Amino acid sequence: MRTILSDVKGRRFLTKRRVRQMRNVVLGKEINQGLVFKLILYAVLIITSYIYMNPMLKMLVKMVMNVKDLVDPTVTWVPSSIYLGHVAEAWKLLNYENSLMISLFIAVSVAVLHCISCGLAGYALARLDVPFKRTIFFLLMLAFIIPPQVIILPTIMFYTKLGLNGHLVTLILPSIFGFGVKGALFVVIFRQFFMTHSKSLEEAARIDGATALKFYFRVMFPLARPAILVVFLFSFVWTWNDTYYPRMFLSPTGDMPLAMKMTFIDTALGQFIQNGGFPEYVAEPIKMGASFLTILPPVLIYLFAQRYFIESVERTGLVE
Amino acid sequence: MRRKRMLTARSLRKLEGSLFIAPWVFGFIAFLGFPLLFSLYMSFHTVKILPNKVAYDFVGLKFYREIILNSSALYDKLIPYFQEVVLMVPVIVIFALMISILLNQKLYGRFLFRAIFFLPVIFSTGAVLLQFINQGEGNLGFLERFELGGYLDTFLGDSSWAKPVKEVLNHFVLVLWYSGVQILIFLAGLQTISTSAYESARIDGATPWEVFWKITLPAMSPFILLNLIYTVVDMFTFPSNPVIELVNTGNYGFNSALAWIYFFIIIIFLGLVILIYSFMNRRHAKTYA
Repeated sequence: MRTILSDVKGRRFLTKRRVRQMRNVVLGKEINQGLVFKLILYAVLIITSYIYMNPMLKMLVKMVMNVKDLVDPTVTWVPSSIYLGHVAEAWKLLNYENSLMISLFIAVSVAVLHCISCGLAGYALARLDVPFKRTIFFLLMLAFIIPPQVIILPTIMFYTKLGLNGHLVTLILPSIFGFGVKGALFVVIFRQFFMTHSKSLEEAARIDGATALKFYFRVMFPLARPAILVVFLFSFVWTWNDTYYPRMFLSPTGDMPLAMKMTFIDTALGQFIQNGGFPEYVAEPIKMGASFLTILPPVLIYLFAQRYFIESVERTGLVE
Repeated sequence: MRRKRMLTARSLRKLEGSLFIAPWVFGFIAFLGFPLLFSLYMSFHTVKILPNKVAYDFVGLKFYREIILNSSALYDKLIPYFQEVVLMVPVIVIFALMISILLNQKLYGRFLFRAIFFLPVIFSTGAVLLQFINQGEGNLGFLERFELGGYLDTFLGDSSWAKPVKEVLNHFVLVLWYSGVQILIFLAGLQTISTSAYESARIDGATPWEVFWKITLPAMSPFILLNLIYTVVDMFTFPSNPVIELVNTGNYGFNSALAWIYFFIIIIFLGLVILIYSFMNRRHAKTYA
């Protein structure tokens, strides 16, 4: 009798435990650990990602559609065949090899120079004894919020005076001193990064008799790898995509970087269409192809570096 | 003796510091300070470019008066853009906050999602984005599907807000694309919240909802301010904004004055953002004290 009772009790206890286990799996001990929550999370993320990626996917699809697919309303996502003619056309219009080399040259040199010049300034503001530090920090903030539109006219005048207007060097020159596209932001990033380091390293170096400059390039700069990666990528990408400074400083007939070349495609295509070169709906896939060719190099670099990159951002404390 | 040595050590350190910051200070003077003052100077003058020199005639506040009182350039182009910015900033910051909280959860494939949400930073800065906007990409399609356009027309009437609202809705996805850097900043911020804070809240029986309002949001507060400022600055220095066309038309004095007015508007805008932020912050602190 007793054994039966305890058996029933035990079984009831077992089922109760089973139910609780099941509930734990489905709903979770904490709400954000359960299966339901995870599923909802994934659903939300996947749907938003889809919405987010939609224009990019459309670009990829549109650019490989042939003329027949373009006019066929039943073809929205899956083209009947992959046609690369539009991309080839865009390649020619962009003068791709040439523009690519120019863009690479400018973006890489600006990014490298930004890493050096902004690193020095950021380190000084974070760790060194700088006279008028508060004033300089205020100027830095000012540099961050002043729109380039305010200072563009005098800058053009001075470049003209120096005989540099229209020259590609004008795009690189400011970055030697930590300016150029969002230079102030990079100084802030480096400053944030160097703030997190302990002071003892410097003291040890000082006792050993190292000068600040030597210490910086031997010890601090190599330690700043995450910050360098972040600044390099941001600087590269933003310089790559910038059309404002090239439009202001370069002449519309000379050599120009890819992103700027792209803005000229509209006019070039417009003329083609007017002269009866091809029907209007062909312009769109060519433009999409040009967009694709323009963003391809940074995207490739990003795909290669993104894992390190996002880890680095978290570690640099890209904050404040 | 000892004092003198300390003094030299200190001044040596100052010298080192100056050496490090010197290139930046020189850059500031050459690429920002001087052009800034010169543009201020030009805004009070009529600038004539003659074959061999540039002539400046002092005209005082004439251009400023002209722009603010008589010209439609400012009001026609800038006000609608400001209205758009007013709509976009909260959308971007709130979206970035939500996505970063989702991405901060522990889940498989987190890296993939992070990569996706950060991808637009690679090209949301320039010509490509303009191309997308011109092509009408980034439209969610709900404007037509639910005939929201007509509804908006009756709701907003012909107030000046109708156009900006539609404009923003028309490239809504692209507006979300502006949030790449903001998502990163929020992600970095979320890393600063200690897990023990969450654990103790859970032990005290707080629901996730309460945890969000009482722990996550207050801890994220400085990052929200940072992101607000970053977003506003980003929107106003973005190469597609309408001031560019205005600045590049040849009349140097007039354009400089316009640029300065633009700058002041941005400052006022930033001031307002900070004011609203601190007001909301205080109210939130009161409610959840």
